[in-house]
Amino acid sequence: MTLTLTIDTATSRTIVGLVKDGELLFSESHEGATDHGRAVSELVARALKVQAEPDQVVVGMGPGPYTGLRVGIAFAHAFALAREIPVIGICSLDAIEVESSDYTIAIDARRKEIYWARYEKGVRVEGPAVSKPSEVEDFLKDLYPSPLRAVKISENQNFTEPFYLRRPDAVATADRT
Amino acid sequence: MSEPLVLGIETSCDETAVGIVRGRTLLANVIASSVDEHARFGGVVPEIASRAHLEAISPAIDRALRDAKVSLKDLDAVSVTAGPGLVGALLVGTASAAGLAQGLDIPLYGVNHLAAHISVDYLTHDLPIEPTIALLVSGGHSSLLQVDDITSSVKKLGATMDDAAGEAFDKIARILELGFPGGPAIDRDARNGDPSAIDFPRGLTTSNDWATRPYDFSFSGLKTAVARYLESTPRYVRADVAASFQEAVVDVLLLKALAACTQSGIDSLVIAGGVAANSRLRHVAQERCQKAGISLRIPEPGLCTDNGAMVASLGSLMLAAGREATQGAFDADSSLQVERLSL
Repeated sequence: MTLTLTIDTATSRTIVGLVKDGELLFSESHEGATDHGRAVSELVARALKVQAEPDQVVVGMGPGPYTGLRVGIAFAHAFALAREIPVIGICSLDAIEVESSDYTIAIDARRKEIYWARYEKGVRVEGPAVSKPSEVEDFLKDLYPSPLRAVKISENQNFTEPFYLRRPDAVATADRT
Repeated sequence: MSEPLVLGIETSCDETAVGIVRGRTLLANVIASSVDEHARFGGVVPEIASRAHLEAISPAIDRALRDAKVSLKDLDAVSVTAGPGLVGALLVGTASAAGLAQGLDIPLYGVNHLAAHISVDYLTHDLPIEPTIALLVSGGHSSLLQVDDITSSVKKLGATMDDAAGEAFDKIARILELGFPGGPAIDRDARNGDPSAIDFPRGLTTSNDWATRPYDFSFSGLKTAVARYLESTPRYVRADVAASFQEAVVDVLLLKALAACTQSGIDSLVIAGGVAANSRLRHVAQERCQKAGISLRIPEPGLCTDNGAMVASLGSLMLAAGREATQGAFDADSSLQVERLSL
């Protein structure tokens, strides 16, 4: 009888869900690549009106554009801290529902690149990684993490660090030309 | 009933900071800085700062609660810097604050970073000092303000037209190979130098400037003058350059701050922000204000640089003044104007 609040901000969509024993009680999303801050608060407030006392939080740790991604993670951790409930970090790509068992899934990584992972029999066998689209074969895109699947995979994973996959852009003063 | 307990979060630049106040009493002030990670880049790298905030924020909250000997459930409100600052960095703080406030079901105040710098002064005394003139000087900002009520009415008198004062310190420190951040480095080096050795220019102090933009600052000409001096003087004395540069900044900041006091008839000055930790600025300000009969307040150096106590302080003052909490969700505003004290 576990009630789970799910939050994912790895894509341009802010996605919030409530799942109880495999049943979806609430699922709403907001589209907008720079709206995560506002959207996550609003959607969680709405979710809490359905059921006010979640037992745990499941949050997508990316990969995804960093600024939005961090909003979901920071919110989830602070909310869990306030409620004294656990937070479980999942790979956002793993939470995308696909009606096939062998596939490659990709989401936008900006700078003309994609974040992607390859699955066989529904299990991730390659990635998550960041590449140019031309370097990855036959990938599915325009799909988004699902709260139901996020909760399902959270039984078998818990990532504590975001999937950044790139180093920050910066050149040390000593290396400048 | 005891006074309200407020937790403040500050992540606008490279400091992940959490402070807790009860009313106007400081209980905890925890600062985790990523400054060492930025040093080899000669300035703050936004993505490095944002990553560091996310790592540091929960431990900083825990630590502040332990230092204050309170639990989250005791909190009456959460306050957070909503801007101005680096947007990616701000968002880690605002999202954390929103998560806390929603989890605890308590009000959230999204407050102005610049006003918070000034409000930290209110933690050190009970006296009303408004109205006051405030000189806000840091790595990102240089403004002269008239504060009629820190929770509702701040008027901008002037600001820098190019570099912030702290930014000028960083740039000159880089040319002098004194390292980053430049403020403390120049302050140290200048102690062995002669502040009157070189007559560097005071920006925007011609009679025309006094007539048209008396309270604006400009430090780019000073920066060029220092660079030119170094080029033309191969055997320069570094401490003299540091001291003379610092003197030019201090002089012009105080000339304009005191002029604002005289013009407005307000005989109170607060100096806040990271550059207010500069020992020469503190010393000269004391001398000149005493002479001019102006009462001066400068927070202790540890409260001048970015910290969470100042954000908690402004949130607490907002709560005490009955100001409305931030309604629902809000986004950080990287270019929040100083007149807008909360969202």
